[in-house]
Parts: sequence; structure tokens; C-alpha cells
Amino acid sequence: MVKKNPLNKRFFRELKGDVGKYAVIFVLLVLLISEVSGYLVASTSMQRAYDESFEAYRIEDGNFTAEKKLNSGQRKRITELGVSVHDLFFTEWQTDSGLVLRIFADREEVNLVCVMEGRLPERLGEIAIDRMCAKNNHIEIGDVISGDGRSYTVTGLVALSDYSALFSDNNDTMFDAVLFGVAVVTPEDFAHFSADSLHYRYAWKYDEAPADEKEENTRSEAFIKELARITDLTGYIPRYLNQAIRFSGTDLGADRAMIEVFLYIVILILAFVFAITTSNTIARESAVIGTLRASGYTRGELVRHYLFLPLFVTLIAACIGNVLGYTILKDWNAGLYYNSYSLTTYTTRWNATAFLETTVLPIVMMLVINLVILTRKLALSPLQFLRRELKRKSKTRALPLNKRIPFFSRFRIRVILQNAGNYAVLLFGILFANFILMFGLMMPSILERYEQRLPENMLCNYQYILQLPAGAVDEEEKLEALFQMMLYERAVSTENTDAEKFSAFVLKSLPEGDYRGEDIMLYGIGENSRYVRDPLPEGAVVISSTFAEKFRIGEGDTFTLTEPYGDQRYDFTVTGVSDYEGAICVFMPKEELNARFDLGKNTFTGYLSDTPIEDIDEAYLGQVIDIDALTKVSRQLDRSLGEALSVMNAFSLVIFVTLIYLMSKTIIEKNAQSISMTKILGYTGGEIGRLYIVSTSVMVVLFVLISLPVGYHVIKTLFRVIVLSKMNGWIPYYIGFDVYVRMVWMDCLVYGLVAILEMFRIRRIPMSEALKNVE
Amino acid sequence: MFLEINGIQKSYGTGDARVDVLKGIELKVEEGEFVVLLGPSGSGKSTLLNIIGGIDTSDAGDINIRGESMGHMNEKRLTSYRRQHLGYIFQMYNLIPNLTVRENIEVGAYLSKQPLDVDELLGTLGLSEHQAKLPNQLSGGQQQRTSIGRAIVKNPDILLCDEPTGALDYQTSKEILKLIETVNRKYHNTIIMVTHNDAIRLMADRVIRLRDGIIRKDEHNTQKVAAEDLEW
Repeated sequence: MVKKNPLNKRFFRELKGDVGKYAVIFVLLVLLISEVSGYLVASTSMQRAYDESFEAYRIEDGNFTAEKKLNSGQRKRITELGVSVHDLFFTEWQTDSGLVLRIFADREEVNLVCVMEGRLPERLGEIAIDRMCAKNNHIEIGDVISGDGRSYTVTGLVALSDYSALFSDNNDTMFDAVLFGVAVVTPEDFAHFSADSLHYRYAWKYDEAPADEKEENTRSEAFIKELARITDLTGYIPRYLNQAIRFSGTDLGADRAMIEVFLYIVILILAFVFAITTSNTIARESAVIGTLRASGYTRGELVRHYLFLPLFVTLIAACIGNVLGYTILKDWNAGLYYNSYSLTTYTTRWNATAFLETTVLPIVMMLVINLVILTRKLALSPLQFLRRELKRKSKTRALPLNKRIPFFSRFRIRVILQNAGNYAVLLFGILFANFILMFGLMMPSILERYEQRLPENMLCNYQYILQLPAGAVDEEEKLEALFQMMLYERAVSTENTDAEKFSAFVLKSLPEGDYRGEDIMLYGIGENSRYVRDPLPEGAVVISSTFAEKFRIGEGDTFTLTEPYGDQRYDFTVTGVSDYEGAICVFMPKEELNARFDLGKNTFTGYLSDTPIEDIDEAYLGQVIDIDALTKVSRQLDRSLGEALSVMNAFSLVIFVTLIYLMSKTIIEKNAQSISMTKILGYTGGEIGRLYIVSTSVMVVLFVLISLPVGYHVIKTLFRVIVLSKMNGWIPYYIGFDVYVRMVWMDCLVYGLVAILEMFRIRRIPMSEALKNVE
Repeated sequence: MFLEINGIQKSYGTGDARVDVLKGIELKVEEGEFVVLLGPSGSGKSTLLNIIGGIDTSDAGDINIRGESMGHMNEKRLTSYRRQHLGYIFQMYNLIPNLTVRENIEVGAYLSKQPLDVDELLGTLGLSEHQAKLPNQLSGGQQQRTSIGRAIVKNPDILLCDEPTGALDYQTSKEILKLIETVNRKYHNTIIMVTHNDAIRLMADRVIRLRDGIIRKDEHNTQKVAAEDLEW
């Protein structure tokens, strides 16, 4: 029969006796593991659902927009190119509240609709709208939405499989689920829209799917050439470049590495907290340990004994955390994605990796760190334990302190030196907790500043990007091209005196690592521009300040851009940096831009204007960049991150309070006998508090202050990595003074509460404590 | 011979600070013998006890127990030696604060393949009615009795006692000594007790007097005095 080690009976009593320590660590572990488990389960399940949605919802291989509706001959010629073509006509309708809805007829062949709530429209006057934009605009089933003389009753909230991210334009820096949405009506209802309000978009699917993205790219390039011969195109987006389809897919699980690192750092901190508190227990029980060792208990038995509780607490927390992760937190995390994206439904999948990462790895980390520290700690001989000689160095000399330093200060310095290990863990913990807090408080601050500065910083109130008809640049049909160009020039001329012509050319930055590359607009600006005030002499290449910040380049540096759909590369040398935060762009003299990209000497492709231009043909209007367009990023980030940031703030404070509580508790307990002795000597509670609590207070304040500049730089690096990998464009990094003030205020408030608790703890230490185990 | 101590030397420090604590101790102890090591502070008696107990090492010399040399034992083997052969009682009781009296004794029983019956031992120790109490609910004597129980429950060959009455009053000390006497008689353990209380020598089979690290006197008690009759 295997004998049960009677020391095991201590475990429950140890738990009960130090319930404060174990409870806070347990709660923190449960919170952490459940959140990470929930995140991993939700993101991987949703990723799987997203991947499968291409098949399940028959998502297009691409779409193109024709200037006019295809006739049957054109359709036949296109299908002969090895694709099937499906109507995806839409119109855009603005509601009275300012929401722009892109309305489609219900689809049956491609890009199927997923009904999330309610039902699809069945009769005239009914509409099913995108769940995300409905939520952002507080629209519910049964509501009647009106605008422009029409009204619809909402019958359902849906997700359109080709609009998982609500990009109204594929060139947009960020999607916009606040002012833009998609919706479906019955085909009969859709037929009521006038032909001139329709956009003739067609989806295609290859008869034989491309093997990989490279082949998809090659086929797509060949396809557009053939397509342009068959019809006049105003838009062409192969699926692999379609942000409305691909953006959410790349974001699902994209934070995984960061979340995992976060988990492991907290586990690491908690493992050290356990190791330190257990080391203190060992110090307190050293005579007992010496006796047990002298009686024949092996070092291994004792190491296992002291290892048990940290591992047990971690194991139980991991189990409960996983249960919560798979239930409540999974839904919450999925909710975060559903808060940003119009994703279709998903099924929860068992995730072995999530289990491994949230259960096995934390336990292994806890085991390894505690095993190493406890094995070292318990490596002393029985006699050393009996004599309480727990320091490896035989006798460490006291640090000489100047007698002119007041006694209380010297005392505090000694307390700090005595607890250097505890304070080291505290420093690490405070730095980590404050990094998270800073990140949580910083994002709204950055977005707010971005939105505030943008109106003052815009080139002009409106930038109109014109769209050259496809036929206008046909080398083979020169006469037709000339005619098209004449038509175009007439249609886009304006009487608006504020309008200033510019030419534009879009190139792409080179991808690198996680950075995918992005479209960069090159502006060709005329002489004496009233909107771009930076001087643009011959050979000038002036980049926007966001360009300079994102790519870390400045005057004299050279950068390379490439054609979006080709191999041609272009090198530019920066001659100046313009203080413009609205876009990542380049300003050049117009003539030089036109010449370099063969646009024709007098060609212009857009207008800059402070007032709206209303007299140009909308058919040639590609894009209008105004304040709404420029603030899409900040608006969407604010909407997407809001809830997550609040949780981050709360979590950082939980970590902060846990560590401060545990470390100050440990310090007080370690000094219980001395505190008791000072009481016997006649020190008042206040004086003892000043000795022991002020020492920790000084260190906490010092660590909080250290965390501010360190946090600034760490978060700056992190922010850069996130922005580079997650979005096009750039938001300048900025931490307002108020963020620091709020951080210090929150930290001090939380610490103040812990200090009060510790004051009570000191008061509870009996004077008899000093008389215990005095050998 | 049960226990042979041959030429044990031990010193602490180096150079001018070097102190020779033991200077070649030679001693042979019979099984079941009750030996008292007497001597003033610094005479080396506790050091000798610790070396016999395998929790300290000698600079020279060797100890054999049942013919097995301790000098050749590594750390693991030494632990095993202590586990199989030794019981320890210290001046401070070193009980585990969150285990009851019974459980503290079971801590010792766990180490033995054939431990004594805990209930019977509790009775012998006079702790039956206190067995469910925690150490902080006990008097000093009761705590020391518990530590004796923890030491002898595994029925060790040798019971090493380092000033077991050092922290106790007269009456309680006598109670503890009576208990050790009972244990010796009942379980036939070899007992080596360190004390500076001269009166205790009277209850031992043999008295070793140490001074300045050498054995000054090794005498056998022809007329032992019962612990109850000791006075000091």
C-alpha cells in the first residue's frame, strides 16, 4: 500500500491560512486563462468558419463594374474566358440619418447572404440590412428606415459573405461600419430602382479554381486585359485584393501572438510571485525543514511539497479558466470580432492548441520556474536550515549608511534592501501592468488627437479623384480613345473657382515581414498651389509627415515604390517632408509626375477644393476624400477597440493590485517578528506604518514613475508593429499628458487601498510574535 | 559494534580565526545504550551529534554504523541513512504549525517501513487527549513530547537528542526525561543525548565528558538513577 505523505494534510490548511494570497492569484489566473482560452477558441473557430465560408457561401473569385449593363453577347464572350458571370448590381441609398446603404437584390448564385436574426425580405418595402451597421446605427428588426422619398421595414439582420468588412471602396484605408452598410431587398423591389442609379457590378467565378494566389494573380491580370476589350470597366477587384472579403480573414487570430505573449508574461510574473512567497514560507519554516531533513525527508520530497500548491492552484485555475473560456468568454471574444466585422455564423470547435497553450504551458512554466527556485532554495544542508543560515554567502556585510541620514530613512533603506527580490518582481509587474494600462488609455487619446488635428491639417476640404474611362487609354483604338478623352474632359470641367487641378498616380509600397504593402498616392501639384504650400521646385519629392513617420525616412533618403499590379519599380529621393497627416502620400510637380508616368502633359486626374464641386459628371467621380473619409480609420478603431480597451484597463489594474497586494503582504509577513518587536519597544502603529509601508510606497511611486518613460517607448514600438501589420495608412503616435496623469492617479488610488489593508495587517500582528522561535 | 566513531576531527574558520571543535574523537557505542554527552558550551558536543546524525561532515575520521562507513555516503545515501536509522529531537520542537499533534507524529511514521503504532505511542507520550490540537494550543512540554513522538515513531536505531530539555522548566524537563527513559526501555533505541545539565548523566548508561574538542572522560554508570529521582 502506498503511504500518503502526512505533509499533504497541510495543503488545505495552507490554502485556508493564506487564502488572500491564493485567492488573488487564483482569480487572476482564472481571468487570464479564461480570456485567452476564449480568445483562442473564438478566433480559431471563426477562422475556420471564415475559411469554409468561401465554399459554403459561394464567394466570388472577383468582381468588376461595367460602365453599362452587359448585353448577352458580352456575357457570352466573358464566359468563354473560363468564368461564370453573376449580376451583383447595386444602388446606394442614403437614409435620413446619413447612413449610406449599398442595396443589392437578394443573391442566389454567389456571395450568399447569411441571416443572423429575423428573415430575408419577402415583399416590397422590406429590407434586410447588415447586422454590424444596424447595430452601429441602432437599427432593429421592425424599424422603418427612410430617406430620399423611400422607406423600408427592416425584416432581418444579415451578413453578406462578400462584405465581412464594410469597405465602401477597396482603396479605403479602413472599413466603415458606422456610416456605410450593405443591405438586400427582393429582386422585385430592386427592379424599381432607376437604371441610372445602378452600378453594374458583376461577380465572376473561375470554372477551374486557381491553384494558388500566384496563379490567381496571373489569371486575374490576363482576365482584366480581355475584359477591358469586351466592356468599359469602372472597377475591377479580384478576390485576393478585395479588402471587403479578405480584411477580416487576416485579422481573425492576428493578435494571437500578442495575446499569448501577454499570457506567458503574466504567468511568468505569477510564477515568480509564488516562488518568492514560497521562499518566504521556507525561510519561516526553516527549522522545521531542517528537522524534517535531519529526520530523513529527502530534498525531493520537500521540493514536491512546496511545489504542490502553486501547481494545484494553476491547474484548477486553468481548468476553470478553460471551462469559462469555452462558454462565456468565447462568446465575449467572438462578440469583439462581431463588433467589428460582419462575419457569418460560426460553430465552436474543440481546439487542442488552445488547451495546450492555456493549460499545459502555464503549468509547465509554473513548474519549471518554481522547481528551479525551490530546488536552489532547498539545496541547503539540514544544519543550515536548523541554524536558519539561509543565505548562500556566508555573511553579507551590511551596506554602510551615513549616520546623517535620519534613522527612519535608514530603516526604510534597510527594509528595501532586505526585500530586493520582492521589489524586483514588483518592478517587473508594475512595468508590465502599466504598459497595458498605457496602451488602453493611449488608443482613445491617439484617435481623439488624430480627429482633432485632421481638420486643421487637411490639404483642403474635398479631394475629388476622377476616374478615367477604360477606353480613354486604349492604345489600339486611338480614335475611340481620343473621343472618350474629350468626353471625359468636358464632363469633369468645373466652374468652381476653388477647384485646383492635380494629377495623381497610385503606386504601392514594398511588402516586408508582416507589412503587406499599401497604395501610395503620388500627387502632381501645379505651380503656386493654394492647397499644397510646400515649395515644389523641379525634381521635388515631398513626402507627407505620416509617410516619413511610418517608413522612418526623411530628407535625402531614397525609397522605392512598385506598380500595384506589375513589377516596375520606381526610386525616389526625398527632398522635403510636408506636415500633412491625412495620408501616406508624395507631392511632386505635376508636369514631372505626368511625364514620369506617361499621363500626358496636360492630364489631370482630380481636383483639390475647399468647397464642394457639384457640376462634374458623377460617372467620372472615382472617390471623394473629405473629413469623413479621412476619419474612417479613427472612427472604426474607436468603435472596434472600445470594449477591448476597457477590459485591458481593468485587467492591468487587476494585475497591478494583485502584485502590490501580494508583495506588500509578503514584506509585512517577512518582518512580522521585527514589527512585533517594535511594538514591544513602544513604537506606535503609525510609526511602524511609516517604517514598513512608506518603504513600499516609495518603491511603488518610483516604479510607477519609471514605467512612464519606459512605457512610452515600449508602446511606441508595439504601436508601430500593430499599425504596420494591421492597417494601411498611419496614425501618428501620441500620448497626451492626461494619460500619464490618469495612470499615476489610478495606480496611486489602487496602491492607497492596498496600503490601508496593509496598515490593518500591521495592527493585527501580536506582540507575542516576537517571542516565537527565538533561539 | 553498533556505532564506531574513529578519529573525528572538525574545525571552523581559517587562519587565525580557525577553531578546532573536535580533535580526534574515538568512541564506540553499543546497541540500546543510553549515552549522555556532557560538556560546557563550545566543547563540541552538538557538532559531534550533528556529525553522527549525518547533517554535518567531519574534516577527518569516519563513523561506522552497523559496519557501514558514513564517510563513503553521498548526499542521497546520507538522507537514506537518516531516514532508516535516526530520530532527532531538538531543543526547539520545530513542529509543523498547521499539522495536529497526531499528524506531526505521522510525519515521522511516514518515513518508516515499520513504524510504531501511532495510537499506542500517543498513549505512551500522554498525548492522546491532545492529538487533535495544533502546536500553538500546546504547552512547551507537550510540544516537546510531540517532537519526541515524531522522532521515535519510526522506531529509529539511534535517537539523537540535542538539549531536549533546554527550553523547559524543571518539572516539564523531568517529564521529558522520564519519557526518553521509557522509550529507551520500551523500544531499545540507542540514545545519544547532548546536554549541559550535569544531573542528567545519572540516568544514562554511559557518560562522555567533552571539553575543547576532546573526550576528557568516558564512564559507565553502574548505578543508574531513574529520571523521576533526578534533581538539579
